[in-house]
Amino acid sequence: MMDSASASPAAADPGPDIHHSIGALTRQLHDALQALGLTDKFRGLAGELPDAKTRLSYISRLTGEAAEKVLNRVDLAKADHEQVLAASQLLGQRLQAGGPAAPTTPELLAFLASVEASTRRADEHLTEIMMAQDFHDLTGQVIAKVVLLAANVEEQLVQLLIQTAPAETAPKPPAPAGDAALPYEPALSGPAMNPQGNPDVVSGQSEVDDLLASLGF
Amino acid sequence: MASDLRFLVVDDFSTMRRIVRNLLKEIGYTNSDEAEDGAAALQKLQNGHFDFVISDINMPNMNGFQLLGEIQKIDKLKKLPVLMVTAEARKEDIVLAAQKGAAGFIVKPFTKATLEDKLNLIMGKYGMKPAT
Repeated sequence: MMDSASASPAAADPGPDIHHSIGALTRQLHDALQALGLTDKFRGLAGELPDAKTRLSYISRLTGEAAEKVLNRVDLAKADHEQVLAASQLLGQRLQAGGPAAPTTPELLAFLASVEASTRRADEHLTEIMMAQDFHDLTGQVIAKVVLLAANVEEQLVQLLIQTAPAETAPKPPAPAGDAALPYEPALSGPAMNPQGNPDVVSGQSEVDDLLASLGF
Repeated sequence: MASDLRFLVVDDFSTMRRIVRNLLKEIGYTNSDEAEDGAAALQKLQNGHFDFVISDINMPNMNGFQLLGEIQKIDKLKKLPVLMVTAEARKEDIVLAAQKGAAGFIVKPFTKATLEDKLNLIMGKYGMKPAT
């Protein structure tokens, strides 16, 4: 938010030396960071930010795919149910009408067979809808890593603020949080977000099976 | 035909525990319990009877590799088949799991067919009767 000084007419016309001043400030900040030994830490964090972007894109892709999968399966199941509903209504009307319009035994058996097949398909759709929820596990692991990165950035910025602020205005370091507040740090690498072209990770179950078979497991 | 084999499903994500237990039920294994990490699993394994463990790797407190290691140290558990179902896709982790005694490895995301295939394969090796 702008403060009253920066919004004043004088501030709107900063004068010809502004670029020189900004350059000097930048240089000072660079020197201060260098002197504080923080540049390496910031360089490390900057390197992690593109990784965070990749992770967030992965989350977006996975949740999108899961939603598509669920909606597609729901469409198929609904179409199936509509067919069964229409067929059962027709049969009911013919049964009520009786006489020559009444359904024959083979027709009734065919209808029951179609209901059975439709029920099996509905069960498959429900299984696939259930399986689509595995995105929660995969994205959860990735989110944990991004949260950890954000916590690191915050910690470094607070440290910078503490070390560079004038003594009288220096903020107090945050009180250490209890164990329960610490972010969970996944110990392993988690899901492979871009397995293509990466020889260190597998892209699917068939590669896992091939790898283990090649080692005699 | 449903099987009486008792499964322990270990995963820190409750969604995944539910998915795996539901799949087991669909395949014919109705007897299962769950644990949220390796430490809780180990406690259940020591205090109860289980025929098969399906475990994630990346978990807090005690991860899947550590759980495998602990299982190998306990006489009454060391012949228990442990199938790793995990998002860990690094080849070195897959090899490490096999070296530590995992009976099989499934990488997430997976399908019901993959789970069923692996269960049948492992049960064949361990002389267990799979559900039909």
